[in-house]
Amino acid sequence: MIGFTLRRLVLLLPVFFVVSLVVFFIIHLVPGDPIDNLLRAGSSPEQRLQIAAKYGLDRSLVEQYFTWMGRLLSGDLGTSIIQGRPVSALIARNLPFSLELGIAALLFSTLTGITAGVIAASYQGTRVDDVITGFILLGSTVPSFWLGLLLILVFAVWLGWVPVSGARGWSSLILPTIAAGLGGIALVARVTRIAMIETSRQDFVTLLHAKGLPPFIIQLRHVLRHAMVPVVTILSLRIGWVLGGAVTIEYVFARPGLGSLLIRALNQRDYPLVQGCLLMLAMAVIIGALIGDIVQAAMDPRQREVRA
Amino acid sequence: MLLDLEMLRIRFGAFSPVDQVTLSVDRGQILGIVGESGSGKSLTATAIMGLLPRIGGQVAAGTIRFDGTDLVGLPEREMRRLRGGRIALITQNPMTSLDSMMRIGPQIDQAARLHLGLSRSAARARSLELMADLRIPDPASVYDLFPHQLSGGMKQRIVIAMALAGDPELLIADEPTTALDVTVQAQIVQILVDLARQRGLGLILITHDMGVVAQACDRVAVMYCGRVVELAEVDALFEHPRHPYTQALIRCIPRHDMARGTMSAIPGIVPSAAAQPPGCRFNPRCARVADRCRVEIPELRVGASGNGVACHVAEAA
Ligand SMILES: Nc1ncnc2c1ncn2[C@@H]1O[C@H](COP(=O)(O)OP(=O)(O)OP(=O)(O)O)[C@@H](O)[C@H]1O
Ligand code: SF4
Ligand SMILES: [Mg+2]
Repeated sequence: MIGFTLRRLVLLLPVFFVVSLVVFFIIHLVPGDPIDNLLRAGSSPEQRLQIAAKYGLDRSLVEQYFTWMGRLLSGDLGTSIIQGRPVSALIARNLPFSLELGIAALLFSTLTGITAGVIAASYQGTRVDDVITGFILLGSTVPSFWLGLLLILVFAVWLGWVPVSGARGWSSLILPTIAAGLGGIALVARVTRIAMIETSRQDFVTLLHAKGLPPFIIQLRHVLRHAMVPVVTILSLRIGWVLGGAVTIEYVFARPGLGSLLIRALNQRDYPLVQGCLLMLAMAVIIGALIGDIVQAAMDPRQREVRA
Repeated sequence: MLLDLEMLRIRFGAFSPVDQVTLSVDRGQILGIVGESGSGKSLTATAIMGLLPRIGGQVAAGTIRFDGTDLVGLPEREMRRLRGGRIALITQNPMTSLDSMMRIGPQIDQAARLHLGLSRSAARARSLELMADLRIPDPASVYDLFPHQLSGGMKQRIVIAMALAGDPELLIADEPTTALDVTVQAQIVQILVDLARQRGLGLILITHDMGVVAQACDRVAVMYCGRVVELAEVDALFEHPRHPYTQALIRCIPRHDMARGTMSAIPGIVPSAAAQPPGCRFNPRCARVADRCRVEIPELRVGASGNGVACHVAEAA
């Protein structure tokens, strides 16, 4: 198991290299540059060149990449051109809000989704299943920002139970968590339900019934364990999403976070900040997938024993 | 009689893949059920286990009398007490019959804890004893292994141990050797025969293999297209098969003294469940077919001896 984990970590090095290339160059595909955002109207071409030189933007892209990479390896993400502050400080200020919402949404959607999936699978083909499947369909089609606005209207404006917006205190986290988690619930519930139904068709489940075990024990102690394998896969893919995917939710609820930071940086063509944010998100996706792989290997006795 | 099925009919919606199944087995007795693929052997076993609703079927007619009680219509709660307790099942493929994510031992313990009310440690002791009885080497370490660490033959022994854990009186083995190597097949059949003889279990042995029937069984039910077509003692069946289908089956058994290439197969194919011919279902393939066979379904008539045949021509003879 430890050997397996180490091997996966070593494999991350080339991945990291490719990711850094993409992250660095992709912003340069977008027209415009940060200097336009710094110059006042009517500035002379000389001033423009001066600023370009100051941030190293006058050198070739390849040169710029190696400078950036060199700093990166020593732990320096550079300085925001527009805001004039270290990128790492800006990320550090926004990350906790993203983490808070991301973890809350992930937990909420995982627990609710698995529960809904298990219930739907256990009552497959009955009205209970129809109702849950209906909600799943609804949940995967309703846009989260629209649901966010609806929630604000009902629970903040009309009922006044929670704050309309902002990120102060746990009560301000409730509505964004529901809005951001809804799509996840639908996804997790759907995968859980299908995996449970597929597993139930296997011979070993027939034999468990032939032993006279009560159906709910079979579902929870045996079938669910097998069904969790694909659920872990989709959850691990969502870890990265959770950090950066809540941009619209951050907008609707006026919350700070990595998503909003990235969008603002993109609009201003703030190259170092965009690159820093993208790198963070990419790493989150990669680490999420890695955690998923490790958990899966730990769940499957075949992989666990062979790779021990 | 330990188990007595009378004119059992199984229904999936409007479709009845199994009909007119009559058979019985006593304690210490081995009943073989033979028939080609799709003849309804597994569905009959599933009906006895009370597991038809799980796959969307139900018993439409007939009785399943176990030790005097009709299991048809028995409340699920009571059926569950019998299942894995007094009636146990062994399925075809040991590769897929065990929970691959759970250690071997606890899977055997389950039935003993559930039906005999044993504690964790008492169930473990019982499982180790059963494993030793089934000649599984080093039971204590096998107990802690996962299924993928065992060979097919060993896994099938584990499945048998699992079935025995609840101390059954009736054991249904649905093609218990089909998925195994030839050398292992004979061992598994021998284990099952010994269980019936030594523990006095009633054993239903479902198989395609007439050789296994001849070697192991006391009585045989021959099934064709969802119906029992002949019911007889094993010696009588092999010496004087009465139903033309049984006769054809026995002609198909390869023997050492046969010249190469003379092995006969029954001409024609099994009709699909949706396209059954009118009258006797065997009539398109039968060598002795008469006019009557194409219109009238022959009923299985069981005599006082418990033997019977469902054929217009054989009955008249
Ligand atoms: N779940 C089901 N739903 C509807 N029809 C079924 C179902 N299972 C089996 N059948 C029908 O019943 C027939 C008998 O099936 P069964 O599995 O009992 O055959 P079998 O004699 O065990 O064959 P095999 O030797 O291949 O195991 C099949 O041909 C099929 O048409
Ligand atoms: S009833 Fe007729 S067709 Fe059917 S087996 Fe007997 S002789 Fe053949
Ligand atoms: Mg079968």
